[in-house]
Amino acid sequence: MKARITVFAAGCLLFSGLQYSALAAPVDATTVPSIIGKVFEANCVSCHGPKKSKGKITLHDLDGGLAVGRDLVRWEKILKELRSGEMPPEDEEQPDDADRKAVIAWIETGIRQFASSPDLEAAVPTARRLTNFEYENTMRDLLGFDWKLSGGLPVDPEKSYRFNNTAEFMLIGPEQMDRYLECAQRAMTSAIVDPGKPEIHRSEAKWITKVPSAAGKNADEIGVYRGAGRNAASEGLNLKSWPKTGEFRIRFKASAILPPGVDSVPLQMVMGYPPGFQALFLLEPVGNLRLTNTTDNPQMFEMRGRIENFPVRPPISLKGGMSPPALCVKPVNLWDNGHLNDYNDNGGGWDVSGPRVSVESIEFEAPIADVWPPDHHTRIMFASPLRETNKPAYVREVISRFMTRAFRRPVLPEEVDRFVTVYNILEGDSPTLEDAIRETLALVLTAPQFLYHTVAENGVTTRQYELASKLSYFLWGSMPDDTLLALAAQGKLDDPATIETQVRRLLADKRSGDFIKNFTLQWLSISKAKTRNINLQLFPRFLFAAGGEAKGREVPNRPTIRDYMESETVAFIAELIGKNASITNLVDSNFAVLNQPLAGHYGVDGVQGNELRAVPIKPEHRLGGLLTQGSVLVAKSTGSAPHPIYRAVWLREAILGEDVKPPPAEVPALADTVGAAAEKAVTIKDMLRQHRKEETCNVCHASLDPWGIPFEKYNAIGKYQPMVPKAGVNVRGFIEKIDKDLAGYEAYLKTVNTVEIHADARVPRGPTIDGMEPLKAFLLAERKDDIAENVIRRFLSYSLGRSLTYKDFLLVEQIGSQTEKNDYRFQDIIIAICQSDTFRGKP
Amino acid sequence: MKQKSWHLDRREFLRGTGMALALPFLEGMMGSAKAADAGKALPKRMMISYFAYGAYMPDTLEGIPIAGKPHHEWNWFPCMDPGPLTFNKSSAPFAPLKEYVSYLRGLDHVGGYGMGGHSSGDVFGTGALMASTEQTNNISIDQFAAKISGSKTRFPSLVLGTEGGTGSYGNAKTLSHYGPGRPIPAMQKPQEIFNRMFQPYAGSSPEQVRTRLKRDASVLDVMLDNSKSLNNRLGKADQQKMTEYLDTVRALEQRVERSSQWTHEPLPNVDTKGLNLEVAYTEAQEYTRCLYDLIYLAFLTDSTRFATLMLESESSNSHPTMQYPTYVLPGCKASSHDFSHGRAPENGPWDKWRAEQHAYFLQRLRDTKEGDGNMLDRTVVLWGSAHSHAGHGTKNYPIHLAGGNALGFKHGNLHAFEGAKKKPLANLFVSMLNAVDAPTSKFADSTGEMTELRI
Repeated sequence: MKARITVFAAGCLLFSGLQYSALAAPVDATTVPSIIGKVFEANCVSCHGPKKSKGKITLHDLDGGLAVGRDLVRWEKILKELRSGEMPPEDEEQPDDADRKAVIAWIETGIRQFASSPDLEAAVPTARRLTNFEYENTMRDLLGFDWKLSGGLPVDPEKSYRFNNTAEFMLIGPEQMDRYLECAQRAMTSAIVDPGKPEIHRSEAKWITKVPSAAGKNADEIGVYRGAGRNAASEGLNLKSWPKTGEFRIRFKASAILPPGVDSVPLQMVMGYPPGFQALFLLEPVGNLRLTNTTDNPQMFEMRGRIENFPVRPPISLKGGMSPPALCVKPVNLWDNGHLNDYNDNGGGWDVSGPRVSVESIEFEAPIADVWPPDHHTRIMFASPLRETNKPAYVREVISRFMTRAFRRPVLPEEVDRFVTVYNILEGDSPTLEDAIRETLALVLTAPQFLYHTVAENGVTTRQYELASKLSYFLWGSMPDDTLLALAAQGKLDDPATIETQVRRLLADKRSGDFIKNFTLQWLSISKAKTRNINLQLFPRFLFAAGGEAKGREVPNRPTIRDYMESETVAFIAELIGKNASITNLVDSNFAVLNQPLAGHYGVDGVQGNELRAVPIKPEHRLGGLLTQGSVLVAKSTGSAPHPIYRAVWLREAILGEDVKPPPAEVPALADTVGAAAEKAVTIKDMLRQHRKEETCNVCHASLDPWGIPFEKYNAIGKYQPMVPKAGVNVRGFIEKIDKDLAGYEAYLKTVNTVEIHADARVPRGPTIDGMEPLKAFLLAERKDDIAENVIRRFLSYSLGRSLTYKDFLLVEQIGSQTEKNDYRFQDIIIAICQSDTFRGKP
Repeated sequence: MKQKSWHLDRREFLRGTGMALALPFLEGMMGSAKAADAGKALPKRMMISYFAYGAYMPDTLEGIPIAGKPHHEWNWFPCMDPGPLTFNKSSAPFAPLKEYVSYLRGLDHVGGYGMGGHSSGDVFGTGALMASTEQTNNISIDQFAAKISGSKTRFPSLVLGTEGGTGSYGNAKTLSHYGPGRPIPAMQKPQEIFNRMFQPYAGSSPEQVRTRLKRDASVLDVMLDNSKSLNNRLGKADQQKMTEYLDTVRALEQRVERSSQWTHEPLPNVDTKGLNLEVAYTEAQEYTRCLYDLIYLAFLTDSTRFATLMLESESSNSHPTMQYPTYVLPGCKASSHDFSHGRAPENGPWDKWRAEQHAYFLQRLRDTKEGDGNMLDRTVVLWGSAHSHAGHGTKNYPIHLAGGNALGFKHGNLHAFEGAKKKPLANLFVSMLNAVDAPTSKFADSTGEMTELRI
C-alpha cells in the first residue's frame, strides 16, 4: 500500500522555509502525500509549528511513516481532533470538507495498515491477578457458598472511566500476599468443618398480635419508621448465642397491614449490631421480601445466610467498659413512596397512614445441620474408605481435586506433588487432618495459578481452558462452571457457534448481574453520586429520614434514593443487554427502570414496591436513556447546582468515548460560588461565558461547555427544574419553622425561581442545541456511530483486561460494521467480541 | 482496664496453628529510656505526611509573594520574609513549636510538573520523573532509608493512608514505593494497624512463633518452586508480569527470616489509653489523630523508624476525607478539593485545622523524653503537599519540616528558594536521608544538600 503514498517534498512536512528540518525525528522514511501536507500547511502549522506550539503540540515535524508505526500517538490524536471537529478551532480558517475527509481517510488507512502488519507483536501481558471483585466471586463459586471479602484485601485501584482489570493496575506485593493468605485461611475455616456434629445455636422471640388500630401500633407492628417501642417486634430478636461460622436460618411469621390502594409492603431482615453502642451501626441485610398476605393470613417465611458475612461483634467499649450488644435479627419496613421525607414525621404521619408489617415470631438457628457435614465440606473432604485405609492417597486426592477446580484447568502431577509436600510440612503442627488440609488448601489459594487469570502455558494448558476462563471472567466476573470446563476438556469451546451459545447462556445466568454491575459502574464513573455532598438547605428532604432511628442521616441498612439511583442505572444496562437492545437506548429509550421510590422522585405514577422493573414512560416524564438518570445527574453536580463541566466531561468520555484533557496544572479558578448555593444565585452559564473570555480557558472550554449546558434544566438531585433565581438573589435554605414541609419550601422557591434557565449552546461545528431533548436527537442523528464505537471499545477492553492498542483498531472497525446492520445491539456486540480472534487468543 | 481491652475474635480464630506470613515484626518495646539504659544508640527517625490539593497561598497562582502586597493572615506560610518565623492565623498551631519547625517556600519536584493538577501527589515522596523519562513511579524516600537501616527495627517501615491500598497511576493512595512500579499499599484501619504492629503473635510464645516461622520458610520454598515452574511455561510478556509474583515470594522469604530473628526480642507493651481503634472515617479529628497516634506508638516502641502518612489522596472518588471540611468547619459546604480553587476566608480555617492535627503529632513527640532531649529531636518530619495555591498548580509546594534538632537540623526560620535561588525539593530529601543514617549524595533529581537547614 505504500505506493499510494507519494513522497512529499524534503522528507517531512516542510513548510515555508523555516529552519527546523534538523529537529525532525527520523527524517529518512517520512512520507506524507503532498495533498495531505498542504492541508496541514494551510490550517495547522501556524499554531502548531516551529513558531507557536499551542498546547505544546507541533505538527511541522510529523513523521509520515505511520503505516510502519511512526508517530502513531500524534497521528491518532490528530485523527481524533479532526473527527470530533475540535481542530482547527472554529474561529480559524477551515479546510474544506473534502480535504478534511481526505486527511481522515489517509490517517485511517495508515493506522489500518500498521495494525494489520503481521510482524506486529502484541506486547501486552495477559497474565494479571484477579481483581478483588473477581476474587470474591471466584471464592464463592469455588467454595459453594456465599462468601464476602469483608474488606480483607486492599482496595483495588480505580480511575474514572477506566476499567481496573488490567495488568497495569493489578499489581501484587508482599502486603497483598499477606491478605490473600488470611482471606484464604478464613475461607477454608468456613469451608471445612470439624468432625462430629456441631452445637446448634437457637434463639426465638414472640410478640402478641392484636387488631391493628389507627391510634397507635401494637407490639407486633412495624411502621415505616418505627415500631411500638421497647421490646416490640421492631427491636428484633437478640440472639442468645451464635457460632462463628456456618449457615444460619431465620424463620419468621409475618403479615401486612395495608391501607387502601397499597398492595404490599417490602420487608427487609437485617442482622448485626443496632445503634446505641458506641454509635456503631453495623447492620447488614439478610434478605428482602414483599408481604402481600394480610393479618388474617399470617405466614411463615425463611431466609438463609452465612454468619461469617455479618459484622463481627464489636470490642468492649474503651470508654467505660460497656459490653457490646448481642447479635440481633431485626425486621425493617422498607416501604417508600418517594415522598416519605416531604414533611416532618413527628406526629405519626406515615407510620399511621403507610402500610405496616406485623411480625409474630422470629426464630434463629445455626449452623444448619440437616445434612452434616454440609455439601461445601464434602465437596472437598469427600467421603471415601481411603481416608482410613490409605491416608496419604486420600490426602493427595483431596489436594488434587481441589487444585483442579481452583486452577480452572487440569493440574500437573508435579504441581500436586508440591502441595503434598506442603501438606507434609504442615501436618506435624496440625491437631487434625482437617486442620492440615485447611492450611494446605489456603496456600493453594495463594498460588499464582489461582490468583492470576488462566493463560495458555507451553505444553500444559490448551487455549481451550484459557478461553473458558476468559468467557466466565468477562461475563460473570467469576470462574468457569462445569459446562465451560467440560467443553474445554473436549476441545469444543473454540468454535464460533459454541461461543455464541455459551455467551447467551452466561448472560442469561444470574451471575451476569455481577459483571454488569462492575462493568457499568466503572464505565460510567458514577460512584460519586453516593457521596456527593448534597446541599440539604436547598434540598431539605433529599436524604433526610424524617423520623425514627434514622432521623437526619443516611443509614447503612436502609437504602436511600441515591442507592436506588445507582441500582437504576445498573438495572437499565442489564435490561438493555438482557433484551439485546440497541445502543441507541443509552441516549434515549421509551422505558425507564424504576421502583416506587424512584418513580416518586421522578414523578411517574403507578409503580409499587422496591423491585426495579422496566416501566413505559411518557414525554412529560422527561426521562429515557442514561442522560437523565439521577445517578449521572447527581454524580455530576456540585450538590447544590448542576455542573455543566462535569456533565460535559461525562458525556464526552462515557458516551462519546472521547479523551477529555484533564484540567491543566495552572488553570485559574473558575469562581466557586456555584458550589455554594442557598447563598447568592449565579448562573453557571454566565460564569462560564466569563471564563471562556480568557484565551487560555477558551481552548478547552469552547469544546466542553456546549455539551454540558443542555443538561442545565436538570438540577443537582436529578430532577427537572426549569426555573432558577435571578442572578444576585439571595436564596434562603429550608427553615423548618417557616416552611413546615417540602411543599412549603417549594412554594417559597417558586417565588424566587423567576428566571427560566437557558440550556442552549452551540456544539462545535454543529447546531445550537436547546435542552435535553434536542441534545438526544442530535446525538442519535449525528453521533450514533461514535457511541457505538465507544461501547464496542469499552466491552472489548474490559473483556481483554487491557487497554486497546493499534492492533485492535481493525477489530473495533469490523465489529462496528458487523453490528451496524442491526442497529448495534448489545448481545450482538458481546458475541462478536467473544468470537473474534483477538478475544480467543488465536495465534 | 489497662490492657487487652479489645477482642481479637476474628484474628484469633483465623490464626489457629496456621501460617502467618503476615507476622508483623516489631521490635520489642524498648521505650526510649530503656534503650538508652542498655547503652544502645538512640534511634533516628523520619516521617512524611501529605495533604492533598495544596493550601491557601494567595499571593500568586504559584504561591510566590508579590513585592509590596501584605502577607495574608490566612496564608499557609506564616510570614512573608525569609528569616525568623512569625506566625499568622493558619500557622498558629505551630507557634509553641517554633524552635522545631521550618517553612520552605519555592521547592518542588520537576517530576510533578507534567502530572496534572490532580496527580502530582504521586511523586511527593519519590521525585520520580513519572510524566517524562520514567514510566512508573520510583523508590520513595522512606523506603530508601528503610532499605539501608530498616533492619534495625522489627518493621522496616510503616505505611499509612486514609484511603488505603495503592491507588493507581496519577491517583496514588500511598506515599511509599519500593521501586519502579511497586507501590506499597497504605493501611487505613486503626484496629488492623494496631494488631499488625503490636499483637502479631496472637498469644503464642516466641518459641512457638520461631518454630512456625521455620516451617513457613520451608513452605515458601515450595511455593517459590511452584511459581518458577509456572513461569517457565509462560510467554515472554507474561513472564515479565509474573516477576512481580516471584519477587513477592522472595520478599516474604526474607521477611520470615527477619521475623525469626526478631522473635528473640520481647514484644512491645503498649498503653492504649485514649486510643479508639474503632473510630469511623467520618470522625475527622479523631480518625486523623488516631493514625498519627499509631505512628507515635510505633516510634515510641521503636517498632519502626520510617513512616509515611497520606492524610488525603487526590482524585479521591468516594472517601469521607474529601468531605472533612464540611464536618469540621461550621457551615462549610465545600469539599477539600473545592478549596483548591481558592477561597480565602474558608480555605484558611481548613488549613489551620490540618495544621492543628499535625501540630498535635509533633507536640506528642516533643512531650516524650528521649535521652537528653525528646523524641522530636530525633525525628525529622516532613509535611506538605505537591500543589501550591488555587487551581492545583504543580510548582512551589507548601513544605514544612519539623524536628530532627538532634540530627543536625536547625529550625525557626522561613526559607525562600524562588527565582535564582531555586533548588529541587530532592535536595531536602538528601539532607533528611543523611540525617537518619541512610547516607546518600543523590536522590531523584537532587543537585546537592539543603545546607540552609543543617547545622
